[in-house]
Amino acid sequence: MDIILNQYYLQIAVFVLVNAILGVSIYMTLSTGQLSLGNAGFMSIGAYTCAILTVKAGFPVYLAIPIGGIAASFISVIIGFPALRLTGIYLAIATLGFGEVVRVIVLNLKVTNGALGISGIPTLGTKISKMMSSLGLPQSFGGLSAQQTSTLLVLLVLLLTLAFLVFFCTRLNRSRVGRAFAAIKADESAAEAMGINTTFYKLLAFALGALIAGIAGGLSAHLTFFIGPKDFAYHRTVEILLYAVLGGSDLVVGPIIGALLLTLLPELLRSASNYRLMIYGALLVTMMAFRPQGLISEETVRYWKGKLGRRRNQ
Amino acid sequence: MFWQQLVNGLTLGSTYSLVALGYTLIMGVLNIINMAHGEIFMIGAFVGLYLVTYLKVNIFVAMAGAMVASALLGCLMEVLALRPLRRKAVSHLAPLISTIGVSIFLESLALNIFGPQSQAFPTELATVQMQLGPIRITLVQIVILGISFGLMFVLRFWLAKTRVGKAIRTTAENIETANLLGINTNKIIFLTVALASGLGGIAGVLVGLSFNAVEPTMGLSMGLKGLAVLILGGMGNITGAMLGGLILGIAEVFTVAYGASSYRDAVAFGMIILILFIRPQGLFGKRQGGRF
Repeated sequence: MDIILNQYYLQIAVFVLVNAILGVSIYMTLSTGQLSLGNAGFMSIGAYTCAILTVKAGFPVYLAIPIGGIAASFISVIIGFPALRLTGIYLAIATLGFGEVVRVIVLNLKVTNGALGISGIPTLGTKISKMMSSLGLPQSFGGLSAQQTSTLLVLLVLLLTLAFLVFFCTRLNRSRVGRAFAAIKADESAAEAMGINTTFYKLLAFALGALIAGIAGGLSAHLTFFIGPKDFAYHRTVEILLYAVLGGSDLVVGPIIGALLLTLLPELLRSASNYRLMIYGALLVTMMAFRPQGLISEETVRYWKGKLGRRRNQ
Repeated sequence: MFWQQLVNGLTLGSTYSLVALGYTLIMGVLNIINMAHGEIFMIGAFVGLYLVTYLKVNIFVAMAGAMVASALLGCLMEVLALRPLRRKAVSHLAPLISTIGVSIFLESLALNIFGPQSQAFPTELATVQMQLGPIRITLVQIVILGISFGLMFVLRFWLAKTRVGKAIRTTAENIETANLLGINTNKIIFLTVALASGLGGIAGVLVGLSFNAVEPTMGLSMGLKGLAVLILGGMGNITGAMLGGLILGIAEVFTVAYGASSYRDAVAFGMIILILFIRPQGLFGKRQGGRF
């Protein structure tokens, strides 16, 4: 039991789940065919809002994380309104610029503690085990140590969040809103001619993406004990983009698989850690050249469904 | 004080213009944003630095070397990362993502080869100063101003008057029509990418000289500034890129001189967001078409 549940593996599982949530956030904006490169910026807003609320204002964590998400989403509406009138490339650059502006502002404000970042953020694990003991429950179950129990509970919280997001996205795809997103992605002018308010739906997708990124930011702040402006720089954006590019952005599972692979890969290739970014770069170029739709597209799913279905019929 | 800052701003701005010209040329002809341009600029700076440090060549020879090296790198990128995408119908975001891949590959490569520390040019150009009325100008600044303005004027003339320049402008206007008119568009694309990257390489050496520091991360920050100028001046607009770069350089220098020095890097993107609010087509852009 201890071999499977050692702290290192559990920690990696936690990161996989947080990155998967980030993958869902970029999926959300990509589902209208808009490429937003500002997800690291939104994540930063969520993380800092949340950390400041819990560390300096003493808010409970379960309130601070959603507030962080809402703050990110609020800002995204403000900058999204002018930016979304623009076509794809303009939006990508405007959001990239937005991420840089957020980084510079965070670096200069007093409340964010500049380049030093905020440390001593209470971790989700200790919060949960405190809550458990206040409810009179034991701090550990069935031979697990207290630390293992709390990390497993954190994993459970993250898993539930991710499961809820996946459920939300699959339901969304069958709703009026989801159909509007798909129509805009397929052809924006045609969608507009059909009477879809494209600006509204694009803004909605953008704000939802920012909300999810903000929540992921808040969660990551409460998992790592420390946040600094460097955690949310350009490279983080590229990493989030890679989840969608590698996994595919047609279906919500795509970015999640992408996040899983790209979080596990560096752990397996520890010895090649200096070359990690080189591998990422080469991966982006080759994916675009050979499989621009990502590993998992709708055709892949249909193909496997057909294959498995035929076998069942025989 | 004011005139001194103006000269400093113009010097900085002229390097931004050179970088932005690279973006603009590629944007005009290929209709894509080359996110790897900043890293090509950085590699150019390193090539120049190593030529000066180890082969002890003249700084102008080093610039030519940097230009050739980054032009070759640009061609390599065009063959490996851009050409495969043109063959099939992919989303217009694919080349953007592909060049982002090239950019992080090159940055990481430079980190592994050259190391993360910043390195300086061994020349004494920076210490030679001249007094012109109220302005104190260093020899480096004169070199930078001379070379960048010279290159900009040559490029303008070349695009406007020569046969090849006209072919480039035709390709930028409409690539299919250019093909029908008997222009070898593949060759023109190659030439444009090489030219844009070469300009980036020279700009790299100039910036390395003026800050007396060359480091692997300089590509990212410069690349972002170049993008800002691209939006500021209007996409694919040569005049816009030249003037936009100067405006950004002057704005940055004055921000530092009159107070908010720590917000220097936010100026560029503050301007972009402002421009996108007021005039999304850029300061010098037209609403529809009409490139160069």
